[in-house]
Amino acid sequence: MAGVWILAEGLESGRELINIGQNLAKDIKSTLTVLTWQNDLSQELIAYGADEVLLLPELPDGQPLQAYIPVIVERTRLDQPEIFLFTATLLGKEIASRIAGQLGAGLGSECNGLRWIEEESALEMDRLFYGGAALQTVRCSKAPRMATISPRSFTPAARQEERTGNVIELPSPPASPVRVIERKARTQTAGDITVARVVVCVGRGFEKEADLDLARQLAKTLGGEIACTRPISQEMRWLPEDVCIGLSAKKVKPDLYIGLGISGQIQHLTGIRDARVIVAVNQDANAPIFAAADYGVTASLYDVVPRLLEALK
Amino acid sequence: MPDILSCYKWVVDEAYIRSGSGGALDLSMADYKISDYDKNAIEEAMLLSEKYHGSTAVITVGLPDDTKGVKDALSRGPEKAYFINDSSFADLDPEQTATLLAAAISTSISCDIIICGEGSSDLYAQQVGPRLAEKLGIPCLCYVQKVELDGSRLVAERKTDEGIEVVAVELPVLLTVVPDINTPRLPGLRDTLAAGKKPVVEFTADDLPPLNGAILKTTASKASSISRGGRIFGADAGGIGDLIQELKNSGVIA
Repeated sequence: MAGVWILAEGLESGRELINIGQNLAKDIKSTLTVLTWQNDLSQELIAYGADEVLLLPELPDGQPLQAYIPVIVERTRLDQPEIFLFTATLLGKEIASRIAGQLGAGLGSECNGLRWIEEESALEMDRLFYGGAALQTVRCSKAPRMATISPRSFTPAARQEERTGNVIELPSPPASPVRVIERKARTQTAGDITVARVVVCVGRGFEKEADLDLARQLAKTLGGEIACTRPISQEMRWLPEDVCIGLSAKKVKPDLYIGLGISGQIQHLTGIRDARVIVAVNQDANAPIFAAADYGVTASLYDVVPRLLEALK
Repeated sequence: MPDILSCYKWVVDEAYIRSGSGGALDLSMADYKISDYDKNAIEEAMLLSEKYHGSTAVITVGLPDDTKGVKDALSRGPEKAYFINDSSFADLDPEQTATLLAAAISTSISCDIIICGEGSSDLYAQQVGPRLAEKLGIPCLCYVQKVELDGSRLVAERKTDEGIEVVAVELPVLLTVVPDINTPRLPGLRDTLAAGKKPVVEFTADDLPPLNGAILKTTASKASSISRGGRIFGADAGGIGDLIQELKNSGVIA
């Protein structure tokens, strides 16, 4: 089976790729094959829409996940899929680029739109560039047409009952020259801003670290999470990188985003463009964030936040 | 004594991008710069060579006019530059750029460590580094935030989706580095003057194998605008009350 391939790192991101992959498989009148190293997910992936699962065998201790690349490349050469999709995680972007490098294949990075162009047998992909200041549309008509997809850009596929499909185990990869000495999980010091319903984001308008309590109180009152712009995590180091919003950091899509003391650099705006409602508080009426916001208050956050808290009591 | 090569791209400074009529990208005001992330790549090469007494060079692919970028890169410390240029090398796709770099490096340049930025600040496709490693057949470590050398063994901390991985590998290796790895030095007047005297080795299209056409074709590019029309509320208690009522009406707060 060639058709459309996806690499599923996990069930949640895999379901998004399955949804896109199924639509493309219909367009090219072919099937959907899911590659994964998650043995226990094989049957689930079939239930969600995979016609076939190519299972990557468990790696020996000390081997990084990138060790799978040679096996995937070999199978891709053999089966010649038309389209090959990945999630744009750090791992997905690296694996996709390295596979594309070996195959000399075209790869669209961090796409947020994909469509099949029948006349040219091309995969057309939309993405952002220039730090989010511009949109680019690219086409690739040579197989395998590859793309990494921004997480949470598409609806996840729904589970269907009584689906069947084959699970084929791929051979073990050769040992990678890279050895993993240690893995340190990120200590989750804050809530996950990518799934929060309300995000209160702090920017340079805050004069000192202790003042972040204002934002914390507002987030707590609204049942949301606190986030920040790049200078706050990278330069001031007042908040962990986990909660930094931007093009090369986290992208959020809450129901409500409240930006406090944020000017609205395009890189930051790119990270919040999918929020349902954007509220901006900044004393500079010319701050670019006001154009991107649904509602704005042009005043110091030090005046506005206490009044918000009072009114929300 | 590692030979260290860092790669950079001479790019349009996105701060100068304007939205023209009908959302067209207006680059008429644009100035150029070394891609931000590549400044970290050059700086890391300098830090490693200072610590482990290695040599440093930079390499780039561009148009013959991009000599200002070569001088800028050399003013940041590297001893030598490799400048792959041809008037046909405009708007290359990542596969083409990686192919050109690999051809020049594999035939003419000795290096133990190649350092790239995590992506370019224009396209940010994040592909050239990893593609180059595969074409050269050397190990690749991406999103590196710390590097140490122990003889011919390199130990790196790289960012992963779950946290950090500490990994070890024998040289040669290609690294892509994240911005937090260092703070690039600012070249002074003396550095700029010295840069003009450093050797620059050029490769043109004639020196390299013929290049295939782009596999990725750009069919449209336009300015992105996020415009929601921002309705402004007063900062007094009345204005704040109205704002909260509006948020309640739209159902985003209870």
